[in-house]
Amino acid sequence: MSDDLQTGDLGVSFRQSRKELYFMVASWVVFAGWTISYVGLKGGIKEGEALQLVWGMPEWVVFGILIPWIFGLGLTVWFALRFMKDTDLDPAAYDGSNGEEGK
Amino acid sequence: MTALISFFVYLALVFVLAGIANHAGKNKSFLNEYFLGSRNIGVWAFALTYAATAASGGSFMGFPSLIYTHGWSLAWWICGYMVVPLVALGLLAKRINQVSRIAGAITIPELLRRRFESNAVGNLATVMVVFFMFFFLMAQFKAGAQIMATLLEGVPVYQSAAFGLEALVEGIPWIGEAEGDYLLCLIVFAVSVIVYTTYGGFRAVVWTDVMQGLVMAVGVVIMLVLALTQVGGLGNATKQLSEMTPPEFMEVEVTRGSENTLVEKQLPRGTWLESGGGDIIRLKSATTIQSGADKSESVEAIRLTTPFEIEKVKEQGSVLEGYRYNVVGEVETYAYGAGKRGVYTSTPGPSRDSPSGFITVLIAFSFFAFWNFSGAGQPSYMVRQMAFKDTLTLRRSMVMVAFYFALIYFPLVIIFTCARVLLPGMEIYPDRVMPEMASILTINAGMPWLAGLLVAAPFAAVMSSVDSFLLLVSSGVVRDIYQESINPNANEKQIKRLTYGVTMVVGMLGVLAVMHPPQFLQHLIVFASAGLGACFLMPMIFALYWKKATAGGIVSGMLAGGLTVLALYLAGYMQTGKFGEYLLLGLHPFIWAVVVSTILICLISIKGTPPAERVQRRYFGGEQR
Repeated sequence: MSDDLQTGDLGVSFRQSRKELYFMVASWVVFAGWTISYVGLKGGIKEGEALQLVWGMPEWVVFGILIPWIFGLGLTVWFALRFMKDTDLDPAAYDGSNGEEGK
Repeated sequence: MTALISFFVYLALVFVLAGIANHAGKNKSFLNEYFLGSRNIGVWAFALTYAATAASGGSFMGFPSLIYTHGWSLAWWICGYMVVPLVALGLLAKRINQVSRIAGAITIPELLRRRFESNAVGNLATVMVVFFMFFFLMAQFKAGAQIMATLLEGVPVYQSAAFGLEALVEGIPWIGEAEGDYLLCLIVFAVSVIVYTTYGGFRAVVWTDVMQGLVMAVGVVIMLVLALTQVGGLGNATKQLSEMTPPEFMEVEVTRGSENTLVEKQLPRGTWLESGGGDIIRLKSATTIQSGADKSESVEAIRLTTPFEIEKVKEQGSVLEGYRYNVVGEVETYAYGAGKRGVYTSTPGPSRDSPSGFITVLIAFSFFAFWNFSGAGQPSYMVRQMAFKDTLTLRRSMVMVAFYFALIYFPLVIIFTCARVLLPGMEIYPDRVMPEMASILTINAGMPWLAGLLVAAPFAAVMSSVDSFLLLVSSGVVRDIYQESINPNANEKQIKRLTYGVTMVVGMLGVLAVMHPPQFLQHLIVFASAGLGACFLMPMIFALYWKKATAGGIVSGMLAGGLTVLALYLAGYMQTGKFGEYLLLGLHPFIWAVVVSTILICLISIKGTPPAERVQRRYFGGEQR
């Protein structure tokens, strides 16, 4: 489980959120690169070649989509449970901030 | 009939949950409770309401029809969902919850209004939400009505009621032109959702979403098992798909064989007919051969081109004996994939309109971005991100949503590639492939009662989206227009009455608008998602992560994003004469809208006066860099 970040400092909390944002965008680039390039290269009809099946699916589906999907699942679990930090969301915890809940 | 009973049990449960939610919300601040569930949503509720709202009628009606029409290439189209929980929730959730609490906002326009201390930002956001969300409502209403129509088909009471309703509205402009069965289902569906949403508010929506989310997951798993069993395994289905070639489209006149020419003969939609040469066609709409006539008016049809599919339909005895057909005019073939084996198991997938196929590399890239970033930019998801109670809830929910999406989307591709094998000729009404598949799978398995549960899955998806959208639009009108600009001193009783009234009126307007919807649900849903994502994604990212962003920049970005999507859809319509997007340089309008929106927000904010130090400190703390 991730470390707690309940410092009561909004600036620290904001910088952590921004760090998580950068990680997330970088992950998106990696997964987009994998699926788009692999399927783009391997997914087309190959004249004269028999259809290659893996687990009952076309080969390009397994290596270009299913396997990255499983990795994506693993990364999401790790990101959520290890990388992302808890933050106190209550505005009363920050100096100079007071929510106007439900007005 | 048993399917119908299990389906109505499900509906009754939805109403019970709404009643309990209404009771639970008593003695709490009305607006905060009605639109945000008092910001106290836990892991299961947050994860499932988020996932259920995302999995709309598009996922269970439009998406299956696209898989059926274009084959395995849809796996590439949808695969962006592999990182949606990470990206869509990771991008905004924590900050949006934090900033909305600091601002005391309970709607998205209100959050933007307070963050930038600008009525122009808030009002524009409200207009954009109401405008684009209305297209969503239209699509979902259509999907809900179609599911009910499939389930009730053949029930005598329903047929009489539909006939009676059609007679009743005949002559009424706009409404009178709708078909009776569709109209009846539309009204029943809409009234059900409007009533429980109005009655229970956000908490009812979240609780029913939880149940609907579970129903969807169970429905998909059961369908997957039944589909794989009935096609003889996935490998067998994929091999058959690899031999298939796309159908041809044409107009035909149906002719009598040896039957008595004095008798009128009605031929329903979906009728199979054989030509003298052994080819078979399926009628796209109903037609009649009048008494005394030997042929019908010309009617649209599709002709199968795969030999084993033709044999299968004949062996099933589905072809109507004693009638033949003549082709009238030109036969239209697929622009990509006609006569080509392997198109259903490869990319770019067959396409009726595009010579480069269904999905090119650039379109695949566009959708990989679209599902993630447009998803993050949807106000209906953003509102949920304002409602979870703490970050631990968010983190655990991300894990749940990730497993949930994996369980739903990839299996759907498998199920509806199997549908191509089990249900030939569904190109005549592709949006109905899901309920037809549920029906055929359960009948083949000897468990027709199960159809009720399977059909409840897409129905749940539609309901869980409609209720969220209804609430979003009504919150925009009540909180952001009435309370903010017209009557800031309105008391709780006035607000309550107005909220109930607006929710009902918005729902009814949605029903009226959807009397004559476009053919492909998914087009409407993608348009509305793109429009909302284009309007809100970049403005919200800059609002949450860039303290120098200005109100002027945000207004420009929001307008530019929305107008870019509108302009490219208009260009698409002018190019093809059909509702659809124009792919400038092969990229989806959403991508262009995000680029234009980003540039404008940055340029105008840099040139403008930065927000006051007080505002910056309030939302960003003592951040130095």
